[in-house]
Amino acid sequence: MPRPETRMVTLSIDGREVTAPENVMLVDGAKYGDVEIPVFCYEPKLGAPVGACRMCLVEIEGIPKLQTACSTPVKDGMVVHTQTARVHAAQEAIVEFLLINHPLDCPVCDKGGECPLQDISFGWGGGRSRFIEPKRHFQKPLALSPLIAIDRERCILCYRCVRFSQEIAEDYQLVLQERAAHTFVATFDGHPYVAPFSGNIIELCPVGALTSQPYRFRARPWDIEGSGSVCTLCPAQCNVNFTVRDERVLRVLARDHAEVDDGWLCDKGRFAYQAVHVDERITRPMIRDGGELRPVSWERALEHAASALGRAQARVGAIAGGETTNEEGFLLQRLVREVLLSNDVDSRAGGSLSLDLHRALGAPAAQATVSDLEFADAVLVLDCEPVDDAPILDLRIRKGVRRRRVELAVATSRPSSLDPNARLRVRFAPGCAEAFLLALEAAIGTAAGEPRREEVARLAQAAGADAGAVHALADLLTTSGDDVVVLWGERVTGGERGEYAGRALLNVAGRLGLRDRDGAGLLCVPAGTNGRGLAEAGVLPNAGPGLSEVEEAGRDAAGIAAAVAAGDLVALYLLHTDPLRDLPNRGAWEAALDRASLVVAHAAFLTEGIRAHADVVFPAESYAEKEGTVTHPDGRLQRLRPAIGHQGETRAEWQVLAELARRLGRDLGVHTGPMATDQLVAAVPFYAGITLDELGGKGLRWPAREAASAFPAPATAGPFELEPPAPAPAPNGRLRLGTFRSIWAAPEVEVSPALKFLHPRQRAELSPADAQRLKLFPGDRVTVGSDGHSVSAIVALRDGAPEGTVFLETAIPEDSASLLEGPLVEVRKA
Amino acid sequence: MTQLILFKDIDEPGLATLEVYQRRGGYEGMRKALGMSRDQLIAELEASGLRGRGGAGFSMGKKASFIPKGTMDKYLVCNADESEPGTFKDRELMQKCPHMLIEGMIIAAYAVGANRAFIYIRGEYELQAQILERALEEARGQGYIGEDILGSGHSMTLWLHRGAGAYICGEETALLDSLEGKRGNPRLKPPFPANQGLFQGPTLINNVETLATVPHIIRMGGEEYAKLGTPGSTGTKLVSVSGNVRNPGNFEIELGTPAREIIYGLAGGPHEGREVKFWFPGGSSSPVLLPKDLDLPYDFDSMAKAGSMLGSGAIIVIDDANSVVDVALKTAKFYRHESCGKCTPCREGTNWTVRMLERIDSGEATPMDLDIMASVQEQIIGNCLCVLGDAMAMPVGSMIAKFREEFEAHIEAARERNDALTTAVAPPEALIQGAVA
Amino acid sequence: MTIDPIDPRRVPRFDHGSRVPGWDEAVDLTKDPAEVPDPATTPVPDDLRAAIEAHIAKYPERRSATVPALREVQERYGWCTPEGIEQAACVLRLTPAYLISVATFYDMLETRPVGRNTIYVCTNISCSLCGADELYTTVRDEVGDDPEFNVRSFECLGACDIAPMASVNGTYVGPISLDEVPTLVQQVRDGAEPLPDKQLARRRSVDPNAASRS
Repeated sequence: MPRPETRMVTLSIDGREVTAPENVMLVDGAKYGDVEIPVFCYEPKLGAPVGACRMCLVEIEGIPKLQTACSTPVKDGMVVHTQTARVHAAQEAIVEFLLINHPLDCPVCDKGGECPLQDISFGWGGGRSRFIEPKRHFQKPLALSPLIAIDRERCILCYRCVRFSQEIAEDYQLVLQERAAHTFVATFDGHPYVAPFSGNIIELCPVGALTSQPYRFRARPWDIEGSGSVCTLCPAQCNVNFTVRDERVLRVLARDHAEVDDGWLCDKGRFAYQAVHVDERITRPMIRDGGELRPVSWERALEHAASALGRAQARVGAIAGGETTNEEGFLLQRLVREVLLSNDVDSRAGGSLSLDLHRALGAPAAQATVSDLEFADAVLVLDCEPVDDAPILDLRIRKGVRRRRVELAVATSRPSSLDPNARLRVRFAPGCAEAFLLALEAAIGTAAGEPRREEVARLAQAAGADAGAVHALADLLTTSGDDVVVLWGERVTGGERGEYAGRALLNVAGRLGLRDRDGAGLLCVPAGTNGRGLAEAGVLPNAGPGLSEVEEAGRDAAGIAAAVAAGDLVALYLLHTDPLRDLPNRGAWEAALDRASLVVAHAAFLTEGIRAHADVVFPAESYAEKEGTVTHPDGRLQRLRPAIGHQGETRAEWQVLAELARRLGRDLGVHTGPMATDQLVAAVPFYAGITLDELGGKGLRWPAREAASAFPAPATAGPFELEPPAPAPAPNGRLRLGTFRSIWAAPEVEVSPALKFLHPRQRAELSPADAQRLKLFPGDRVTVGSDGHSVSAIVALRDGAPEGTVFLETAIPEDSASLLEGPLVEVRKA
Repeated sequence: MTQLILFKDIDEPGLATLEVYQRRGGYEGMRKALGMSRDQLIAELEASGLRGRGGAGFSMGKKASFIPKGTMDKYLVCNADESEPGTFKDRELMQKCPHMLIEGMIIAAYAVGANRAFIYIRGEYELQAQILERALEEARGQGYIGEDILGSGHSMTLWLHRGAGAYICGEETALLDSLEGKRGNPRLKPPFPANQGLFQGPTLINNVETLATVPHIIRMGGEEYAKLGTPGSTGTKLVSVSGNVRNPGNFEIELGTPAREIIYGLAGGPHEGREVKFWFPGGSSSPVLLPKDLDLPYDFDSMAKAGSMLGSGAIIVIDDANSVVDVALKTAKFYRHESCGKCTPCREGTNWTVRMLERIDSGEATPMDLDIMASVQEQIIGNCLCVLGDAMAMPVGSMIAKFREEFEAHIEAARERNDALTTAVAPPEALIQGAVA
Repeated sequence: MTIDPIDPRRVPRFDHGSRVPGWDEAVDLTKDPAEVPDPATTPVPDDLRAAIEAHIAKYPERRSATVPALREVQERYGWCTPEGIEQAACVLRLTPAYLISVATFYDMLETRPVGRNTIYVCTNISCSLCGADELYTTVRDEVGDDPEFNVRSFECLGACDIAPMASVNGTYVGPISLDEVPTLVQQVRDGAEPLPDKQLARRRSVDPNAASRS
């Protein structure tokens, strides 16, 4: 679907000639002429205007009644007056009406000083009230959720929060109740408003009716400073604004970026800043001494790590976690490859892919952007759950479906929260994306007239999917329009057959003509925040910076674990990762960590793997302290800027990596953060010429720059000849194991006082049919096990869950599904 | 004597059944219409000069002509949410002659190419809903509603949708929201329902009486119909007369009949020894008129010229035994209760007005409060999202303007009463309690 | 002289008549958020499901059946109970919050427990000009604290020709004189037809022109 073109129109506002884009609302158009029209209910991010508050009434020549500027599009030749006596009278009337029941308790209100109601009353109100009746008084503040407090006295019923809940997040939990002057904002029957995006209503509220529980009474607007940066808690990399008071982050606000986050934040991004200042955070270097980690000086920690790494020479494996910046990843692979002379460095959880596949999947020509999700003709969500994996994309997909009628298809193993919005839902067995994609490719062929119906049936069966649904999906993707975006989860290319699944994906992309087409393409949701950037910085066993060839490929993450366990490697370098949390096959990693003679970790929290196994721990910077760049899944380089100074004794990690290299006898030539960036840019041909200044506040998509032509072309981007994979195992009384990582499964959530309550515990998600067969009821405690390993979980039924599969959480401290091997497990009542 | 169109033989036994209705010539208009082209039908409607009977008085033919041509999903909605205080004409029509409405809807749906039609009836009309459901079943049984109606190629569904008690749902866009299963909040206009109405599709919305008139127009011919009434207000109209009259009820009159003839001639005038003090000519939303206005012709233009409106055709007569303050308070309370709460001036303005009137009533006001109240009404008028705010502000404003002296006298009398109370010996405890009550 | 401390509950302005049910209610943080009820864990009586689905079939979008579904819930349970709303929400695939939002908007949908017998006394202008306020208080007094009754003063019911009137379990009756109230209430208690002679269903047109023909 092509983006609407913008034509400019000229109109007159208060006698000034104003040129504004056609069809924008008068409120926005007026800004082009520096005319401000006051609004309360209008917020373009919320969709079509509602015209409820009536604050924006203006006079338009030729129309007898005053009009709401929020709902009147600008037109050529329109003559508008905002300063006539009639308009002033109407504005004063609205302010007077709004203040009738508003308590005017500004001195004790969090919003005071940054309150639109204050500003507008001062700027446009009459400065007096003739209302002498008693005002309404209610109990306040009341809890709306553990995160949000509601003060109904202050509410001016602008509809913003309920519109957000109903039309943006579509959780429909926050609603208006009753009618007329009795109307109030509430939830159903006293249930709390807990939803992944609930915190946005705090920022939307134009008065102090909705306040953040963690921020309440922490600061006044004149105490604070704002500092723009990027949230690195998930691959969505939303742009944020840290509210800082006295070197402490007290709040996170959205920093609108239409190409990244559309101005929204998830609650993890909004409230997990608390983890920056909790006691659990590691802020001093530590060394294991007598079995316990004890704080030591930097000198001792560095010396200890350097000498131990020196002894391990070449027998070191290194893993970078998703929150690692491009610069840190780049320096890590230099340290490993150039100093420690090892090839064993990885940043992917799911196993290595061929360099060619990396190049084909990452090619600029095949790349879709975030906003393409909104303007596409059709979107296929493939083997990922946006609300868990990159929450803000969930909102973007909903927006496309709602406002632009994007045809949405969801092809996953686990039921998705986007299912109700999708035109089509296809389920396949966990881990069977490869067979599913082959079936889809064959079905697209069938749709084009090729006689492959039987092949589709065979492959669909192998994938545990319904062949009819696969055909329907092929029809949808081929008939909705040319702009198709496939949002695929990195798990597609995970596991032993990830390479082949990746090729199958390229075959589908080729069939749909997604290459070299603006507005169409592939968009990967990596497992880690900076998955794309780390691959491009060379943190892969078989690729150097810029996806360049390496002389000798090293081991991938799983290979490193096996090699350490086998004694072939002796040391592990863990940059922002705890393999027990973040990587699959927890058993193998436990064995490796047990056997390793040296584990050096950069960590912010003592998660179980670090606590039990690390020998040297360097305190990791929080994202509010970091300097550097990360790369968004759609290729946008974004800049992290320090909002606060380093907490405790924390040091910049590029500095630690460079210092280790120096102590090991090699000067990496990095003395400041920007020098690391310069080195990275110089080493990655398709980043050539990028400077931090050029990145600025909004970042920059490298695939859209000229230097993108330097991207190394794959030998072939398909089509590939592919063999059908082995079919998904038949459960035969057992259940297939599906896993997922919840949005709340993160150490930052675990330690943030406000978010703690959301941190997940293991539950076994079952279909009602399986539960009935196993005689299980919701809330039952069960053990889920395979081959000697088992985890404990609580039964949760889900109507859309496919029969024959049980879904378990990963990335949680206890009972994580990564303990189980699968593909089949048994569920027994505990 | 008025030529009766809608009320002809209205009390004939069994008229609510298809059999009797058809024996009386029912569904002939529909048969004739299905043989005509859509353009012809709309031309007939325009020629009839029929103006909407629900309150706004907009030309029905013109409204129908605004519906875009094409094959998109189009809708016809009958507004049977009759809730304007004083109005009860549609109720009698639906109860006694439901097929007339159904026939009108089939013709209107055919004329604009709507395939889905709904009757939105107010939830309180239990009996009428049951009767309509039965009539709809009969019409479906005859193939008047369904696929390819009588071989015309036109297909339609027609369902009855029952509301659940909200005055605002009589406002056409609020009605659409309500029919979509939402809170009945009025929408911003534009877009108008003719372009984007029910489920975002082009939608024709008409009142029961308007649609029930359609078969007669088709039967008689538009020009013939236009000969009734006055040039600006053609045809006959059902008028609901209530309040302080001896014979309250619905009367079918030719538009342009003098109001006095309706109130005194048909409805019997006020009770023995009473005089008309003032009257609402078109439901409680219309600014009140005085006895001197009784000789005006009762039609759209004359009522507008007198500073009021014909509205839904509901005349409420208030005699000289009643206090204007009571009526103003009753009116304001009604609109406060029924405001949807979406837009500021209506939500807050109706609330404030009621509280001021309560103060006036209880003697805690001064004449200055009347000025404030009049100014608050002005602050409401024209600034709201829909007409509900105006619907309170205009009659209340008109009462203050026309009966200012009575308001002032009321304040004075109530204050004197209060003074007498406070000087009497009363324990302070009781005083506090009294203020609360 | 000693001064009694001020009890805020006794200060008139804190007890002003604008208290709204719900405004003072906080959420219960021990509850789970109310999402769209999962059919796997929300049993719905078959007949209720069938009735709601029959309504859904009339409209191009399911949501339209919200009010009819709530009416079904009210008919079944006497009022829109939280459980009933959850069941309707489950069939409609909407959140219960959405349904409560709609239910509280409409006067005829009860969101708190009420008596089984409903008497709406119209107290709007036309009826009150004919003595509706007295009728309302008389009915209230006659009913007393009988929990089987739900007596409400209602806005214009569209029957000003029979003022003062009431809708008794959906049946319009009027004009009601004050001395008929005890009979009326007793008839409702007995499950008998309320004031049969005064039911609107039997009233003939008063238009002299229409009446003359029949």
